[in-house]
Amino acid sequence: MRTLLRFFQKYSNLLLFLLLEILAITLIIQGSSFQRSKLIALNRQVSGFVYNKVDGAREYFSLKDVNEQLVEENTELRNRLDQISSLLDSATVLNEVKGEHRYSFVQSRIVNNNIYKQYNYLTLNKGKEQGVFRNMGVISDQGLVGIILESSANFATLIPIINRDFKLSAKIKTNNYAGILQWDGISPRFAVLTEIPFHVSLSEGDTIVSSGFSSIFPEGIEVGKIESFSLEKGNFYDIRVELFTNFQNLYQVNVIRNYRQEEQLNLENLHR
Amino acid sequence: MYIIARNIFRFVVVILFQVLVMDNVMISGYMIPYIYILFIILMPFETPRWVQLLSGFALGFTMDLFTGTPGMHTAACVLIAFIRPYMLELLAPRDGYEPETYPRIHYYGFIWFLKYTVIIVLIHHLALFYLEVFQLKGFFSTLLRVILSTILSTSTIVLSQYFVFRK
Repeated sequence: MRTLLRFFQKYSNLLLFLLLEILAITLIIQGSSFQRSKLIALNRQVSGFVYNKVDGAREYFSLKDVNEQLVEENTELRNRLDQISSLLDSATVLNEVKGEHRYSFVQSRIVNNNIYKQYNYLTLNKGKEQGVFRNMGVISDQGLVGIILESSANFATLIPIINRDFKLSAKIKTNNYAGILQWDGISPRFAVLTEIPFHVSLSEGDTIVSSGFSSIFPEGIEVGKIESFSLEKGNFYDIRVELFTNFQNLYQVNVIRNYRQEEQLNLENLHR
Repeated sequence: MYIIARNIFRFVVVILFQVLVMDNVMISGYMIPYIYILFIILMPFETPRWVQLLSGFALGFTMDLFTGTPGMHTAACVLIAFIRPYMLELLAPRDGYEPETYPRIHYYGFIWFLKYTVIIVLIHHLALFYLEVFQLKGFFSTLLRVILSTILSTSTIVLSQYFVFRK
């Protein structure tokens, strides 16, 4: 007994060290994506307040950039409006226009932005009270941004393309072949598109858009363009995609509300 | 009592500085400054080891809460809190550390502080970055991130000695 006590006394620091390390490693291993999202939701409630204050200052400094972005977006929208109104004039009845609206957008701001980690998360300043819920898609005027992971009353966390847990069904705009877009954790400017079979003809600069296979994003939201591709793994291409969204200066985003998401999910779940 | 209060104050300050300022410094994905471990680096020499370990745990855990990472900062901080006393022993001047002094440039000079900081920062960054990636794929790109970030963190910490913790 005494030797045991002496042993503990002698190695107490080592034992404490091992205990704490085991605790930390357990946290890491147990920290699956789901628990991580809960943890983040908790920490966002704590730190959301602080970040909001800081954001007030940052907002002031970036007013000029935001202005320029808004002007660009305005022009873009006006152009599109022109196109649409000419279509309407020629009495084409579009299915999407005929019924109720299928999608609507919630304007939001990024209040916390970390992009140089492996598992990056962004925080938005809109939450449940403004109609932002889990599994909604997020876009900016540059392109696709990510998916809402969790939302509290007034904040939401967003899992962007540049998070190693992120997966998106995306296709090549010209020929409609769909693959899976993921991030390789190296540069926030590039992602990787896989599972495009070898017989598809590709060329650098081809646009990659969302496939619309999930209920999260509408079809055809621009993601990026092909920067380079190779056929190293046999039957499938490894495509490096340059992302349109520049996460370094991302500020204003839109959250997509799909009014028929529930309907689609319910129908799809019938056969599972 | 005074020392404890000062250390708690420093704990809060380094965390806030890291989260509010340093985490917004984005030079490139290869250079991320982590200076909050300054708290562990500056702890007094005679701090009991178990206090160092628990402080390291608390520091890492708080950081994890703010960055939303599970346990990675905690593991790295506990590791350096454990290794620090051995490092201090290894780097001790011939006559040992004098009482009433702290591990700072002001007392032990630039070269000593640089050696001490580089070792602690390097160990912390090695643990943190590899835990974050959690795979050996891209071993060398991670190593490059570790080395570049170590350079950046160390220079920031050493500079802080001249501007903030002058005596």
